[in-house]
Amino acid sequence: MIAYLLRRALGALGVLVGVAVVVFVIVHLTGDPAAVMMPPEASAAEIAAFRHAEGFDRPLPVQFGVFALNVLHGDLGESLRHHEPALGIALERLPATIELAGAAFLLVVLVALPAGVISAIKPRSAWDYLARIIALVGQSAPTYWIGLMLILVFGVHFGWFPVSGIGNWSNLVLPAVTLGFFSMAKLMRLTRSAMLDVLSSDYLRTARAKGLTPWNILIGHGLRNAWLPIVTQLGIELGTLLSGAIVTETVFAWPGIGRLAVQGVFDRDFPVVEAVVLLAATIFTLVNLGVDLLYAALDPRIKYA
Amino acid sequence: MHRLTLASLLALALISAIGTPLPTLAADTTITISQGVDADTLNPLATTITPTFNVVQHVYERLVDFDTPGKVKPVLAVSWKRINPTTEEYTLRPNVRFTNGDPFTSADVKYTIAWIKNPANRSTQTAYVRDIERVETPSPLTVRLISKVPTAIAPGQTNPVFIVDAKYFQAKGNDYVAEHPVGTGAYVLREWRHDESVSFDANPHWWNGKPKIDHVIFKPIPEAGARVAALETGAADLITNVPPQDAAAIEGGKNTRMTSVPSGRELYIAFQTLNPGPQQKKLVRQAINYAVDVPAIVKNVLGGHAYTLKSALPPQYFGYDARIPGYHHDPAKAKALLAKAGYPNGTGIDFAIQCPIGRYSRDREVCEAVAGQLTAVGIQATVRAQEWTTYAGLVNHRQLTPLYMLGWNVPVADADAVYTALFESNAPLSTYSNPKVDALIEQARGELSVPKRKALYFELAKILEDDAPWIFLFQYEDLYGISKRLVFQPRGDEYIRAYEMSVK
Repeated sequence: MIAYLLRRALGALGVLVGVAVVVFVIVHLTGDPAAVMMPPEASAAEIAAFRHAEGFDRPLPVQFGVFALNVLHGDLGESLRHHEPALGIALERLPATIELAGAAFLLVVLVALPAGVISAIKPRSAWDYLARIIALVGQSAPTYWIGLMLILVFGVHFGWFPVSGIGNWSNLVLPAVTLGFFSMAKLMRLTRSAMLDVLSSDYLRTARAKGLTPWNILIGHGLRNAWLPIVTQLGIELGTLLSGAIVTETVFAWPGIGRLAVQGVFDRDFPVVEAVVLLAATIFTLVNLGVDLLYAALDPRIKYA
Repeated sequence: MHRLTLASLLALALISAIGTPLPTLAADTTITISQGVDADTLNPLATTITPTFNVVQHVYERLVDFDTPGKVKPVLAVSWKRINPTTEEYTLRPNVRFTNGDPFTSADVKYTIAWIKNPANRSTQTAYVRDIERVETPSPLTVRLISKVPTAIAPGQTNPVFIVDAKYFQAKGNDYVAEHPVGTGAYVLREWRHDESVSFDANPHWWNGKPKIDHVIFKPIPEAGARVAALETGAADLITNVPPQDAAAIEGGKNTRMTSVPSGRELYIAFQTLNPGPQQKKLVRQAINYAVDVPAIVKNVLGGHAYTLKSALPPQYFGYDARIPGYHHDPAKAKALLAKAGYPNGTGIDFAIQCPIGRYSRDREVCEAVAGQLTAVGIQATVRAQEWTTYAGLVNHRQLTPLYMLGWNVPVADADAVYTALFESNAPLSTYSNPKVDALIEQARGELSVPKRKALYFELAKILEDDAPWIFLFQYEDLYGISKRLVFQPRGDEYIRAYEMSVK
């Protein structure tokens, strides 16, 4: 187990190094921060002075060398826009993202799993059709549109929830529903199909023949065997939610890392973009590792050596 | 708390019952302002973006400022005079203190300008103090800003900078002051929660008297539709950049209304005349100006929320010549001019109009409308739209060709700020070269006599109208949505100042 963990940690490190290289190259290909940071009336000499001060006049491999060396010291550079350490800015926004992602994830688990199971045990029923319609809408409607519709209906028309910003639980409802909707739809469909597969298997027929209670058949034998694909998907969804919800955070003015990333991209604030992407990649890798470890707990046949 | 409320109610009932008039209790007033983005820093010397200036100007002040439109007014300086052609002497306001108790003196002005010029501070405001060669402080309340060459606009008045507390900046360092502003202004910072809100409380010791609004909260909401929703639900009292299509709904709202002002921001499509192509011919440029129906674009694309430009200057600018008639929509004349230029029915002209996406209100839609109108006179025109940050880099390197859209807005509202930056041959943003124009711009910049300078600008306007280096489009209307309780007079420079507002 420890050997496995060490192997995975090394692998994760490799992934992060790869992400760092890719994100560095991509952001530096997107253009010149001086064009955005300097006022339009700046002269060529003033723009050149800015580029020199920030080190953008050096060859790209040299810039990467400096970046890599600093990353090894835990320094992702200073934000060009905020004049503060980029990693600190990203970490400051992380709790807001965790709060939103946590609420959305809870919603996904509480709604999608039961709805998927009910759909599977009562196929072609009204519940099944309702769940499938919700899944279809959730997967086809853009998050941006869902967010604005929720704001219009539940914020402006009914006045039930605040329309933007962070605060108490009521601020969380609309963005969490918006963010969770897509994942919910995906998971509902997956749970339904995984359960349908399991419910038609021979061992479940045997369980019924043995006279087990329907609950025992469904949860003990059905859901338990359908778990693996569902948990895999849940892990991916959690990782995605935690990596920052760019659209939802922007629409609801939620001060998380997704919104920071968007602003960073618009500002050509390279250190901030690099910090957010590396942070998101780290979270995603850790969640994936957690899911892998969970497999062994869910299925005793899986062993890590 | 419960008991207190009950007690208050009982007291209220008792007072009412015996008919005693209630004492007037002055309730604290709070307003919430929503712009699209949060402040990027609270160091007023480390930014160049308007939404950040809107936030920091509640704490910091300048030596002089602008009354709408573009008229200089005293703030931390009470008066100023030209003591020789290159020296402007400012007399500073006495008895002004920063909110930490430090007195405001000429040393702070000197330090502020030195801070911006110091490369180690990596300030993006170096262009704002470019005209100031050195600063002298003959007394604590006198400061002299000295330029290299005589300039018509006094040194320090093209883009006045905010004055910081030298002692505080030196003691605390750049990282600290970026989060903890201390100024001489109307408000003091209560709290800054990044990307969430910036809250201010009135400064009771402000030299100009306590502002009418006690608390101000800036709450950034990036998405325009969500900003409108915040106003409609009462979560915001003032929102900026209202999409033209939402203006009617806000105006008809129960608690909301629209207010607007002609913006200092003008929008134009420039010809890249330094590159070969039909756009180098004056007749083609004139024909295109006649082919474009600007009033129709204003009406149909911007819902009427803009004002047609007759020349390169909006009317509120110094140097604006009201006698310039400007171009009008005349497709027949456009076709005749094209034929005269050697392009009958536009044959042989295939133009790409370069356009930013989302930088200016309805920018891409305006480009598409222009392209459609050019097609109507036979010119092949297509729109090439790009995201702003990429676009801005190309603009700075003069790489957009043959036609490109750009907007312009400077607080000084002086012709020099437009002509020097956008028409002088060696200016980074100019793609036009005319030695006569260059000479006139330079002459006007150093001309200290106001009537003579004005005459030079009138001459320039005439040349530029005839030479048509732009498609002259329009100046925007700044659209604000406000709650009906707020008394707010919008300015033409996009600045929002709670200390100029009150609540009904």
